[in-house]
Amino acid sequence: MNPEALVRPELDIGVPHGDLLLVFAEAIIGTDRAALDAARDALIKALGPEAISGASAIAGNFTKNDRVANGLGIPVDPPVLKGTEELREQLGINAYKSAENTFRHM
Amino acid sequence: MSLYEDSALPVRADLEAAHQAQFERFGQPGTWGSGAQRIAVVAAARQAGIDAGVHEAPEDGGATSDMELPKVVRDIIATVAVSPKDVDLDFYNAAIGSGLSDAEYTEIVGLVSFITNLDVFARGIGVPLRPLPEPLPGEPSRVRPPEAVQEQAFVPTIPNPPEGGEVAKAMYGPFKPYIMRAMSLVPEEFNDHIALERAQYLPLEKIMEYDFNHHDGLTRPQAEVVAGRVSALNDCFY
Repeated sequence: MNPEALVRPELDIGVPHGDLLLVFAEAIIGTDRAALDAARDALIKALGPEAISGASAIAGNFTKNDRVANGLGIPVDPPVLKGTEELREQLGINAYKSAENTFRHM
Repeated sequence: MSLYEDSALPVRADLEAAHQAQFERFGQPGTWGSGAQRIAVVAAARQAGIDAGVHEAPEDGGATSDMELPKVVRDIIATVAVSPKDVDLDFYNAAIGSGLSDAEYTEIVGLVSFITNLDVFARGIGVPLRPLPEPLPGEPSRVRPPEAVQEQAFVPTIPNPPEGGEVAKAMYGPFKPYIMRAMSLVPEEFNDHIALERAQYLPLEKIMEYDFNHHDGLTRPQAEVVAGRVSALNDCFY
């Protein structure tokens, strides 16, 4: 997997039908209902109808986790932080406002 | 009628059961909020999403509430529901400075996070948002775990073992990352968070098995694409 595509979805993420999953993930939390319906239809054609509830459950779950993490101000656990230095730099996520919840303890 | 009986797309039975249980939990007395207060919080969070255009208003939204929530609670709900990246330590301190307790704040953040989760799922599979349950009578338990201490989150948390003692062992096993422990100040919400995590992401004991596929038709790398993209769009550093 090319994780850079998570923040730059025009890149090839290197996962089968990853392009469709990136579009679905953006549409499910976006405001364009027609775009979501189109993304869902495309995913059904590519992965089958049973994949939709799984993709929706994952999107819902991380919608939850992002709110729990930011809302309660948790830091990234040290082992994860240490192992992701290069990746965080590559993705530019050190600039996220929620990064303060980790960096204020360093 | 089961929760997703009207869905044209298949939904795994254990996933549907976890969602059904969470909807019922919304209307039950919690640790700090009554059933009516919890439904008022959940309904306000849903409405914030509808107002922001990220959810479509259902014809039958179920229970409503005419309870007037304090401004500080309304502000937390609106921000966490729609713009969680704007929550910071100043925001939290202002909420607590307005008279809300850290445990009440935790329960509210949990409720808002859970209903947003369930509404995103409904939208994803193409069904209307599910009706909210009627609130049940009863008093909140108001039990604060004495093991919770100020670690590095905004709110106190129960530390991992050995610092968290026997309670931590029972709740976490040998170790849980912060994202799992975040709601431990309110153990009932912690339990709900974990139950959703297991059904929706994967059983936590499988997390290091990278070829374990929890969802039909979706490989683990494909699941991680969705997870990573949603978190990136939410500017979530965690």
